[in-house]
Amino acid sequence: MKMLLSIAWRNIWRHPGRSGVLIGSIVAGLWAGIMVSSWGNGLIDQRMNNVINEELTHAQIHHPEFLTEREPRMFIEPFDEITSFLESDSRVKSFSPRTLLDGMVQSSATTSGARIIGIDKNRERETTIFHQNLVQGEYLSDDVRHPVFIGEKLQNKLNVEIGERIVLTFQNLENEITSGAFIVSGIFRTGQTIYDEQTVYVKNEDLGELIADQPVYHEIAMMLHDSELSDQIVSDLNREFNNISAETWLELSPEMRYMTQFSGTYMVYIMIVILFALAFGILNTMTMAIFERTKELGMLMAIGMNKVRIFVMIMLESVMLTLTGAAFGMFVGYLTVNYFNKNGLDLTAVGGDSFEIWGYGALVYPYVTPQEYFYVTLLVIATAMLAAVYPALKALKLVPGEVVRD
Amino acid sequence: MPIITTHNLSKVYNPDTVPVHALRDVNLEFEEGEFTTVRGPSGSGKTTLLNMIGGLDIPTEGHVEIAGTRITGMKESKLIEFRLNNIGFVFQAYNLIPVFTAYENVTFIMLLQKRSKQEMKERAHELLSAMGLKDKLDSRPKELSGGEQQRVAVARALASRPKFILADEPTANLDTDSAMNLLDMMEKMNREENVTFIFSTHDQRVIDRARRVITMVDGAIDKDERKSPPS
Ligand SMILES: Nc1ncnc2c1ncn2[C@@H]1O[C@H](COP(=O)(O)OP(=O)(O)OP(=O)(O)O)[C@@H](O)[C@H]1O
Ligand SMILES: [Mg+2]
Repeated sequence: MKMLLSIAWRNIWRHPGRSGVLIGSIVAGLWAGIMVSSWGNGLIDQRMNNVINEELTHAQIHHPEFLTEREPRMFIEPFDEITSFLESDSRVKSFSPRTLLDGMVQSSATTSGARIIGIDKNRERETTIFHQNLVQGEYLSDDVRHPVFIGEKLQNKLNVEIGERIVLTFQNLENEITSGAFIVSGIFRTGQTIYDEQTVYVKNEDLGELIADQPVYHEIAMMLHDSELSDQIVSDLNREFNNISAETWLELSPEMRYMTQFSGTYMVYIMIVILFALAFGILNTMTMAIFERTKELGMLMAIGMNKVRIFVMIMLESVMLTLTGAAFGMFVGYLTVNYFNKNGLDLTAVGGDSFEIWGYGALVYPYVTPQEYFYVTLLVIATAMLAAVYPALKALKLVPGEVVRD
Repeated sequence: MPIITTHNLSKVYNPDTVPVHALRDVNLEFEEGEFTTVRGPSGSGKTTLLNMIGGLDIPTEGHVEIAGTRITGMKESKLIEFRLNNIGFVFQAYNLIPVFTAYENVTFIMLLQKRSKQEMKERAHELLSAMGLKDKLDSRPKELSGGEQQRVAVARALASRPKFILADEPTANLDTDSAMNLLDMMEKMNREENVTFIFSTHDQRVIDRARRVITMVDGAIDKDERKSPPS
């Protein structure tokens, strides 16, 4: 085996130029594949963190039917017991109760549909980073009666300024239409167009007054010390309380579910495409190598090298040649990814504002997991072997008696 | 008992299109310790005969026995193994692995035979020294002259301890001095270690050194002459 490795390795360097070109293209292919995949990974992570940190959080509690029916009367009970449970649970970092209503928002200019979210400003601030989206005014000012925090797109649509009045209309617990006046206290921009056009934040005590003479909560969102704990805490909560339904971020968001599945597999697809192209280069190089060596291979068979060894020798040559390129490519890829992982990769120049429309930031921190490097290595080896099968089988068909004739 | 016997050996190339009778009913016996040459004009069937004896090609009729074993009709994998352990080959060209040194080329065949490290080392040194290549152990084939390359090939053929060595025009690419030198080496191994050599050639001076001369014409044995062994 050592001998076969040695022949195969030295055979690669009989044509340094030819092998070099192939190795170069493998380096480039793997580097490009790793860059695209790492950027995709970074983008997905950024998106997942954004969604979790801005609003979704690690886990949420609702009335069991609230998410499908969204009726105001489906609020969380027993609220106090649940909050003291969360308060005393060491896995919970913070939580924020929310009042959620669907309704209308009206200014002197126009009327528009709205998702109304009632929050406790301080609790929400501890739990999410939504307040960072503030672009104008104040989050929910304490100096104003009934402050409201609205998206920039909605502001433009309603044509209102800070300090001006808008009216929110929604159903109360008895399903009667209720409305209240609110003063615009701040403007936010998340970058997600639809969200910025439909969402308004108010204080939950202000909403409580209007719908039930007391605060009611439809959602409790919680951040944990570790997102991995979400399954645990959710099942504990569901066991402890019968009238609620607790769910993890993964259960709550189909988008997140899709993304986690996707992120695990798409690098493999990218690499398969790249390696498929490289396979033709490998096939070509190996075919030439075998073709020009027919006399030598005939001699080897004549003097007693069996076909298994010849086959293994050719496979080793192809695998070592390909792995040399792949190792360089992955190393260069690793260095590049590491650099951009520290400094961030800004693709605004390429993508412009298109990232924001879809809710992505342009600055991405790419990364590749060790597992992905492992899979890529396996794929590379498989490609090298598949590409060499045909030339190797051709070599085995040689008849030594014919080849060794001068 | 002869170490090689050919029974009614015939070979027809392209039997369906333009049949070429490369061998016609060849019956030969070779004894251990022979130093035999096969001569004849180009196309007379020398290479074909050596390839049949060496199990590199399959006869159309007849069969070959080596030390009592019938190699004709053997399964290919068994035949390769048989060649490895019983027959040494020296070809006119492309004998050596270009990426290996002289020393590695000689040990290579013993590695295939799974011999012990110690034995490989000793035998490779011994044979390469005997072939006058003591200083060329680490040279690659392209750093060696044609004669030196052929001597490495003979050393490699001897390294596997075969029952006999087949050499198809081993001197064809060599100048006279190198050719005579190669013959000296082969003769020495034949005399000192009783190694059996069968080689083909066109070269009269090489023919003169053989003790048995088989002359082929048109695929058949025309003459089979033995000289009395030198006293
Ligand atoms: N693969 C083949 N297909 C068809 N004919 C062949 C083949 N190999 C050899 N022959 C023919 O068989 C005959 C004997 O060839 P062979 O090579 O044995 O002769 P040779 O005596 O070794 O000649 P030379 O001195 O030129 O090497 C020749 O007529 C040759 O053309
Ligand atoms: Mg010939």
